[in-house]
Amino acid sequence: MCSGGDTGKAAAMTIETTAQAPRPEAPPEAPGRCVMRATGVRKGFGRGVWPWRRRVEVLTGADLHVCAGELVGLVGENGSGKSTLMQIIVGLLARDGGEIERPGQLGYCPQSPMVWEKLTVDEHFALFARAYGMDDEERDRAAGSLLSELQFERYRGYRIEALSGGTRQKLNLALALMHEPQLLLLDEPYSGFDWETYLRFWEMSERRRDAGMGILIVSHFLAERERLDRVYTLKDGRTSET
Amino acid sequence: MSAVAQVGGFFVREHLRARLTLALLVAIPVFFVLVFASVLGEFADALGGRLSGGGATSAISAGWAAAFLCGALAFFEVSSSRGADRRLAAAGLGAGRVALARIAAAIALAVVVSVVAFLTLWLRSGIAHPAHAAASIVAFALIYVGVGALVGALVTGPLEGSLLVVLIFSVDVFSGPSMTGSDGILAHGPTRDATKLLIAAGTGQSSAAGEWLAVAAAVTIALTVAFGAFWLAARSRSRS
Repeated sequence: MCSGGDTGKAAAMTIETTAQAPRPEAPPEAPGRCVMRATGVRKGFGRGVWPWRRRVEVLTGADLHVCAGELVGLVGENGSGKSTLMQIIVGLLARDGGEIERPGQLGYCPQSPMVWEKLTVDEHFALFARAYGMDDEERDRAAGSLLSELQFERYRGYRIEALSGGTRQKLNLALALMHEPQLLLLDEPYSGFDWETYLRFWEMSERRRDAGMGILIVSHFLAERERLDRVYTLKDGRTSET
Repeated sequence: MSAVAQVGGFFVREHLRARLTLALLVAIPVFFVLVFASVLGEFADALGGRLSGGGATSAISAGWAAAFLCGALAFFEVSSSRGADRRLAAAGLGAGRVALARIAAAIALAVVVSVVAFLTLWLRSGIAHPAHAAASIVAFALIYVGVGALVGALVTGPLEGSLLVVLIFSVDVFSGPSMTGSDGILAHGPTRDATKLLIAAGTGQSSAAGEWLAVAAAVTIALTVAFGAFWLAARSRSRS
């Protein structure tokens, strides 16, 4: 378990960086080392049409950190800002204030699969392997291993439009994992999973946590708390560790 | 193979796998050149435009078919793939390379669309200046890549965006030099100079170097705008 206050341990992190990250064969982070820190993150959205437009503050100073070898949960009611905070950490959404320190490259599994309907499962692996800087051999090894682990090998030639919701979600998760990142951000990654896949998902996450990966997971279910090393609750725009 | 070429190849495949898109690639140029051309000629006569004779109306119809298809394709390239493109950019490819791949795919599709439009025109009526006509049709297509991509970047709703593309196209078609004798602000649409070239090619006249340069400038601006639009749609916004 990391202390969370040791910024000296954040040597591998950059602020706002998008630089190329370590290759997949890079050694995992030493346990306890902080791999992501969000400090005082603020975000608001404009709602309505002028002159009735008003600003809704979703995040008013959210703080959290994730260390290598930790499985951290982020819980909160619907609309509390969990996905917003996740997207700000990834860099998909602008923030109004605060600081984010994170590795240049991470794994991100969005709540709804962000994929191309007309491309096949294998083509998605090829596209993301390019983005992660993996060569063909690394791609084939990673894709083969994840297809097997999540048990959807037989769909590798299928277009996304032909897949069930659960299989799409398996691909969504596999794309986030294929480069074995230092930091993995999962936004309700198991929606649509059957019970067996759901259990397999937790086994996979715990195995990677034990290998030194830092994992932040948005979760709704109280029953999952026992699987998590720490849990942040997001309420009224702020996080508290529970 | 470079990342841009490989990713661009996947983006082209994504469009060509849609059966309806493939059908429209053939149906729209055929409809415009074989059916719409004569109607346009009558409109132009009524409005005092420059279209004269079947050669000019068929030629300009081929250009507009290419423009309409490419505008719609570029719009949906941005609109339907925004989330996935941004995820790919954030994963490490970067918004610039995603935008370049999108531009490469859009240009490849524009060439395919232009070839279909040109062949339809050639089979329908023959062309006095085939090389000039082909270059002009490609110019129409590329200019509307810019229009479609810009609308896609600024308007997120598929219905609103596609209606806006159709509106711009309609204003461009019906207020351009081919359809009206007036020289008001609406007559300066994005394809104004390409229209002049295509009418000249259809009627066997040559065009001045200045007109070619004006079309080259319009295409360059359109592709620059398209790159900016694709980049805007794919970028990972890390600062407010």
